[in-house]
Amino acid sequence: MNRAVSRLAYRLILRLHPSTFRHEFASEMLWIFDQEQQPGAAAHLFLDGTVSLLRQRFRSQNGHGQLSIASGVMITGPGIGPLRFFQAALALSLLWFGLMFLKLPNPLNASVRWADRMPCYTVTLQAPSHAEVVLQSAP
Amino acid sequence: MPAQIAKNPPLSSATLHILLALAGGNLHGYGIIKEVARNSDGHYRLGPGTLYDNLKKLIDSGLVADVPTTTSTRRATATKEDDRRFFTLTREGKDVLAREVDRLQGVVTKARARLQEARTGRA
Repeated sequence: MNRAVSRLAYRLILRLHPSTFRHEFASEMLWIFDQEQQPGAAAHLFLDGTVSLLRQRFRSQNGHGQLSIASGVMITGPGIGPLRFFQAALALSLLWFGLMFLKLPNPLNASVRWADRMPCYTVTLQAPSHAEVVLQSAP
Repeated sequence: MPAQIAKNPPLSSATLHILLALAGGNLHGYGIIKEVARNSDGHYRLGPGTLYDNLKKLIDSGLVADVPTTTSTRRATATKEDDRRFFTLTREGKDVLAREVDRLQGVVTKARARLQEARTGRA
């Protein structure tokens, strides 16, 4: 496992966070990434970083009240546009590329379901342990 | 309007664990992660993204505050860890944590009573 490459990928995930959150916490998050040396920690940090990216991006664009997180499940309310869907796809791609670089098994099951009435869609990411991300749009 | 955490119980798992960790003293982010893992016997593993999202909400709600850089509560020995951002529980944070612990205590008491009833009913 190449630590430098994984660090670079994690920095990229942090870089994609909204500027206010990034300026306040990115250096601290990167420091924690450097401190975590346990086996399997990198995959956990990548998953957490990607979920954090989605959470902060949706929050900054949706405003309050349209995102709720409970028991590891993140559900967005109505109003996800193509741009945010693209951001989610980009974040996922980064995560998968990172896992490929790290030669780690993919911990996620991802599915995209299109509703009968377009353009409604649901993106589900599920890790075998406990993390689950569900993104839903309203028609 | 910044996202805030409800000041009345029930608290989310992450919030409860963070407040519990800070109840033991001022900690930086990684210290909170380690303390949460220790308190939960390694069952609850908090990631930095989840941690700082919750810390931001806790700070906005006035339950947690930054420890000023010059404070004497930090270690006297200068290490790299001392350059990090430290957090402390406010008085309001302690009150909210105490209310949550009382609520959980009530849940445990009721649960034990129900289990006892179920056992005696079967016997």
